[in-house]
Amino acid sequence: MPETILCGVRLKNPVIAASGTFGFAAEYAQLFDVGRLGAICTKGLTLRPRQGNSGVRVWETTGGILNSVGLQNPGIPAFLEQELPRMRTLGTVIIANVGGADQAEFVEGVRLLSDADGIDIIELNISCPNVERGGATFSKTCESARAVVAAVRPVCHRPLMVKLSPDAEDIVSVARACEEAGADALSLVNSFRGMAIDIRARRPVFDNVTAGLAGPCIKPIALRMVWEVAHAVHIPVVGIGGISTWEDAAEFLLAGATAIGVGTATLVKPTAMLDIIDGLERFGAAALAPL
Amino acid sequence: MTTAPVYAEDVPVLAQERIAQDVYLLTVSAETAGAPGQFYLLRAWDRDPLLSRPLSLYTATDTTVSFLYQVRGRGTALLSRCEPGDRLTLLGPLGHGFRLADLGGRVAIVTGGIGIAPMRALAEQLLPQHVTLIAGFRSTPFALQDFERLGVHALVATEDGCAGTRGLCTDVFDPEQFDSVATCGPAPMMARVAALCAAAHVPCQVSLEARMACGVGACLVCACATLQGNRRVCTDGPVFDAREVVWHA
Repeated sequence: MPETILCGVRLKNPVIAASGTFGFAAEYAQLFDVGRLGAICTKGLTLRPRQGNSGVRVWETTGGILNSVGLQNPGIPAFLEQELPRMRTLGTVIIANVGGADQAEFVEGVRLLSDADGIDIIELNISCPNVERGGATFSKTCESARAVVAAVRPVCHRPLMVKLSPDAEDIVSVARACEEAGADALSLVNSFRGMAIDIRARRPVFDNVTAGLAGPCIKPIALRMVWEVAHAVHIPVVGIGGISTWEDAAEFLLAGATAIGVGTATLVKPTAMLDIIDGLERFGAAALAPL
Repeated sequence: MTTAPVYAEDVPVLAQERIAQDVYLLTVSAETAGAPGQFYLLRAWDRDPLLSRPLSLYTATDTTVSFLYQVRGRGTALLSRCEPGDRLTLLGPLGHGFRLADLGGRVAIVTGGIGIAPMRALAEQLLPQHVTLIAGFRSTPFALQDFERLGVHALVATEDGCAGTRGLCTDVFDPEQFDSVATCGPAPMMARVAALCAAAHVPCQVSLEARMACGVGACLVCACATLQGNRRVCTDGPVFDAREVVWHA
């Protein structure tokens, strides 16, 4: 597989472990050589530690999974001290995914991560569907997305990738607003807000009522959004959303994605990303050029 | 003792036995046996349902691993249809099992329903004359003979009174009679066992169950509330010190 260049950073292939499904990589390093991956994106990080959401956190639905983790993480200082040194030894590109409840937390979080050695790209998570404050509300409108990207841009000395929500009012306009505010790349999509009801208990399954839907069922919608955004902006796009096989990945690359993220498929099969890398390699780079 | 997990496809099914209403014993070929209280993720299908199913280790030999499980939904129903010669996918052994060093003296193993599943491998590791199984069932008991064969004394409670004492396992469990306890079953039952043990100052280990996805500690969907905050059932557990667990009403 020829190298992929993502906002100036060399990836050995275009396959990225998507945020939230790969922990801090050590969990999967015991099962396969995670150094073969193009890049690894951390679990969503926030300045302060977060306990995440109460109640049921996962629910299967046809072709997908609803999740309500709610950005549980040890906080950025603990990540930098305990997890990053190990991640740096894995031999691949490290992307730090950062969330925040408000603009000030985003700015301070990005500042800390940007100053740390060993982080190659910062992914600004303005699209988490499972937190009460901040999260996806930031990528709902152009104004809010533009404001938070512009606020973190001056403190971010690494390539800045902004992760978009499919629940935006108009994802193409939000993408353009992020580009104008200084984003170096975009990743899309985060999970869709969905819900499930326990019909016997007569109440929503999740304490938060809604949860994030991911998995194969969202792929055609995610692909359409990647196609539209990739044709509307001049910065690279990382395609994410239900990619399970190399053929799925090829579709996103043909749609204009520079690289692709894999999430739920890893939960289904731990080595799914290796199959995707091998499949893309066999298919050949020429066949993967954007349409 | 922790063995590194292995991901294996095409694992041969050696036996599948229905041992009670909706309860099955599945035996597969596997060279990596886990420790008592550890579990595996199993799947016998391609993409639907998406997630694998966590089942705790029931027994193991040098070349086989067995799982005792109850059909609860589509995944376990599909597993129950596997026959010898079929292949399935296995990830494990996973998680932290029982701390054997802390199960000394007279040991009570207190179970509710299919919560008996992680206890057979545990009982094998303990001195049978010091172990009492206190097993509750809704109706007809199952798996008891596997414990009696080890020489373990069994006290039985059934909700419909069809065997043993009519009532719950917690009705016949007296923590004062024991030096240490291991328990697994429905959450309210484990909460009750934990409370009885706490009041009697008897150490208790609980094996928790949770909906899981990755099974290796990456996705954080199987969180349980503990005194140290939310912890992962799959990797910090599934066995916890009962005093650490925050039980919800």
